[in-house]
Amino acid sequence: MLQTVLEPGTAENAASFRETYLAAYRFMLLARLLDDKFAALWRSGRIHGGVFLGRGQEALSAASGVWLKKGDVFAPLIRDAAGRLAFGETVLDAARTYLGSAQGPMRGRDGNVHRGKPKEGYLPMISHLGAMISVVNGILFARRFKKITGTVGVASIGDGATSTGAFHEALNQAAVEKLPLVLIIADNQYAYSTPTSRQFACRDLADKAVGYGVEVDSVDGTDLNACLKTVGAAVARARAGRGPQMVVAKLLRLCGHGEHDDASYIDPKLKASPLGRDCLKEAEEHLVRQKWADAAALATWRGEVVREIEEAVARVQREPAPDPFAEEWRAISSKQLSEGNE
Amino acid sequence: MSITYLEAIREAQAHALRDDPRVFIYGQDVGAFGGAHKATKNLAREFPGRVLDSPISEDAMMGLAVGAAIEGMRPIVEMQFADFSTVGFNQIINQAATLFWRTNVPCPLTVRLPFGGTSGSGPFHSQCMETVYAHYPGLIVLTPATVEDAYSMLLEAVAIDDPVIFCEHKFLYYHLKAEALPSEALPVGKARIAREGRDMTIVAYSAMLHEALEAAKELVPEGWEVEVVDLRSVKPIDTDTVMASVARTGRLLCVGEAWPWGGVTAEIIARVSSEGYGLLDAPPQRLNAKDTPVPYHPNLWAAHRPTARAITAAARKLLRL
Amino acid sequence: MPQIPIIMPQLGESIAEANIISFLVKPGDTIEAGQDLIEVETNKATMTVTAPCGGRIENFTAQLNESYAVGATLGRIETTKEEAARLGLDVSTPVKPGDTERVSKGSGNGNRSRVQPTVRGLPVPANATGASYLSPRLKARMVELGLSAADLAGVAGSGAAGRVTVEDFERFIAHLEKQKTSQASSMRVAVADAMRRSWTRPLAHVGMPVCLDPLFAFRKVTRPKPGPALCALRALAVALAENSAPAGRLVGNKIVHPSSIDIAFAVEAEEGVLVPVIRNADQRSLKDLIAPYNELVGLARERKLPPDATGGSIATVTNFGTFGLEWATPIPLPEQTLVLGMGAARHAPSWDSVKGQFVPIMEANLTLSFDHRVIDGGAAGRLLQHVADLMSKPGEL
Repeated sequence: MLQTVLEPGTAENAASFRETYLAAYRFMLLARLLDDKFAALWRSGRIHGGVFLGRGQEALSAASGVWLKKGDVFAPLIRDAAGRLAFGETVLDAARTYLGSAQGPMRGRDGNVHRGKPKEGYLPMISHLGAMISVVNGILFARRFKKITGTVGVASIGDGATSTGAFHEALNQAAVEKLPLVLIIADNQYAYSTPTSRQFACRDLADKAVGYGVEVDSVDGTDLNACLKTVGAAVARARAGRGPQMVVAKLLRLCGHGEHDDASYIDPKLKASPLGRDCLKEAEEHLVRQKWADAAALATWRGEVVREIEEAVARVQREPAPDPFAEEWRAISSKQLSEGNE
Repeated sequence: MSITYLEAIREAQAHALRDDPRVFIYGQDVGAFGGAHKATKNLAREFPGRVLDSPISEDAMMGLAVGAAIEGMRPIVEMQFADFSTVGFNQIINQAATLFWRTNVPCPLTVRLPFGGTSGSGPFHSQCMETVYAHYPGLIVLTPATVEDAYSMLLEAVAIDDPVIFCEHKFLYYHLKAEALPSEALPVGKARIAREGRDMTIVAYSAMLHEALEAAKELVPEGWEVEVVDLRSVKPIDTDTVMASVARTGRLLCVGEAWPWGGVTAEIIARVSSEGYGLLDAPPQRLNAKDTPVPYHPNLWAAHRPTARAITAAARKLLRL
Repeated sequence: MPQIPIIMPQLGESIAEANIISFLVKPGDTIEAGQDLIEVETNKATMTVTAPCGGRIENFTAQLNESYAVGATLGRIETTKEEAARLGLDVSTPVKPGDTERVSKGSGNGNRSRVQPTVRGLPVPANATGASYLSPRLKARMVELGLSAADLAGVAGSGAAGRVTVEDFERFIAHLEKQKTSQASSMRVAVADAMRRSWTRPLAHVGMPVCLDPLFAFRKVTRPKPGPALCALRALAVALAENSAPAGRLVGNKIVHPSSIDIAFAVEAEEGVLVPVIRNADQRSLKDLIAPYNELVGLARERKLPPDATGGSIATVTNFGTFGLEWATPIPLPEQTLVLGMGAARHAPSWDSVKGQFVPIMEANLTLSFDHRVIDGGAAGRLLQHVADLMSKPGEL
């Protein structure tokens, strides 16, 4: 089973960078094929609401999750299927949330990418961009109170979120409080249909870091090798107490904003440029070049992943949907203060 | 020895900090300065590292509080004025209020909102925000009207596992005094009969309670005995106590300092009209502030919100119906 | 082999329908789960509809260049039981409560949500003014004690414009409890209720004296003897058979016409008045009505009237003359428009224009009380005159 071989955190203990690379690649592959599956399910009417894919961003995403240990905190963005899996999310939980199973972590009360397990450090996003960063700050802040050291919080956002007040307040707060936050910005050139030329006026998002007093690194988001090295270093710096770290990765979104969007506004020149390279294909070519895997191994892994996804999805599709008449319609935990429901 | 409403709030925070290591206070100027209203005076010194100054970032303050709550802490966030909490509104209603329902993880934070008008405060230092917060599921909204309640309800707020919006009235801070702090109290969720009566029920909360009591006194020489109910919490509302009072008197006047559209007074009347229709001998009435932003000039401010005089006039009308 | 429908998916938040652009496979083709089957176009983009399971395309019911609503069936896939079970497709699609807004053109999922709305409540009266206003609380108390507004007639109200407040009411009840009271019989209560209901209409009364000499002469030579009330009843029946409009009932803006001339008559029994009915009184002569009439009187006095002997009448006759009254203004039954009354017979002078002097006759007052919404004084007078004329020729009744 893919999951047991690739426990999150093996990266840190891995004997070599190669193991990390292989682990990250497997998460990318799983994420890509799972995304494809969700898209197909949506187009057959089995998924309700929106589907948001991370096609083209798997390298950065896997790198965001693979360096984290149990006890760290991760607030992913909507395109972080790979990172979530690397941080320990199961395919079952992802499928359950998308398919609305009552047995999923959100129990049907929230869906698609709004999923997580707060007590395990995996934060379920709200839709307002930038809002999760300060929540990561809060957890790290509380850890400090409890004298817990050595943990790190990764908040992953896109270029669009950098325009929000929430982003500004949270980054400033993290810097002032000197929290071990790693803010990973996936600059994929578009926020829905809005190109970055309409999102910010500074030359490069990395230029914002100095304004907040935080360290920053830039990286080619399509290159798994580079992503692993850059993100790994940032995480290590944060863990060592150097304060908040920013990583700005450049890549291109290779899908619509959601599956309801055909992304026809994406500049074909960008698609044709190096920015438009498929990081999964690039990683496979790298594996073959480095002789870390051959075509047969890649095909075998692909087959294993497809089967795993099929089984998980089929299982979830047999699970019951939430029953509104069996729901406890109470929004607070203090029963005696709940006003009762009609 | 007497203690003010504000001192009671400070005492409650001191007790919370002392008794529970998970509690910390986070807000602007709360540390060495002791807070804009001095609600945390000396607490930073007495509890080093537990009373912390935040940047002017209500959104990030609330997000941080949610994160800390997930991690098991019991943060108390002081908003300098209720009016500024709107900058953190998103985090309160979408992050804090939905966490338990979405994830089954409770969010035990407390937000202290210095709310309500004082003469000369103007539109952005006077607002009553209980309506908007009470509307969202997932929040508990408290409105203590007495020194004793300010103390005991803040202690209970910190102990409650859900997000509590604690509305402390700025006018009452220094104007209201009591002999001593209480050793026992009504639990959160129960309203209190502040004055027993027979001819009519006035339901009020926070500063308006005192105006209502004043009005009730004024009506005694005219032969009326007015019952006054102090809601204490506006989410949840103790509907049973209100209903029992209307059952005794048959007439209902709701008084609130907030604006007329919707709000606590509308909510009480909706409940009494639909669940206690047969208890009413006259149509229920409500008195609220005028439907404009809160004015700055004292003359205008005095006419903007309900006063004891306005309450007696409304009461007389209702008693004669 | 189970057949799984291919459903038009929700391809975007506010998308309600999509247009079929092309079919990527044809009936009979074997396909896999997730395979693209149909190309469709929405307002926002061109998308494909994929297969919910593997199997064989059974058919496409959708047509090229036609639009279909979200949820419509576009075709069917024939698949194995195992495949359907594996993917949980063998259970019917569960009700999705949020899913209630659908433009249903094709055959969509027809389940309607069972989730109830959460808004309930009764409207509060707009204004509490006016003496007749009864507050909800007062009404509730009145229901509790079995009282109606008529019972409050004597209560002085201290509320706005003299309305009776619940305090006034409670004081009144407390006062009553200090007085001597006895239990009213159920008949008394029933009559009270009927009279109260009747009185909600505008009632008017007319009357005229009628000469009874012809009737007394007729009785001298007839066996058995018809009573004056029966004569009046028969005369009324004949008059109404000719023109039943005065006995119609007004409901809203419709007049309900009587279907048969059934006339009731009042019989005083212990504790109240009973009103047995002569059915189709227009179809039997006065002579033939005597026996049934007397039988009903006997039964009424013994309180042994069968159920079909009362009810359903269109007018009532009452002989208040038996109490010695010359004049009275009876109240019609609440479901009737008319009550004909007859007073006590007395000697009276009558002008004889032939003889040029007053001559003694036996005379009684005939009264008609009526619901003035249905008829006016003129019609009432004409009816009364007609009845009087008929009663002057008893041999022809």
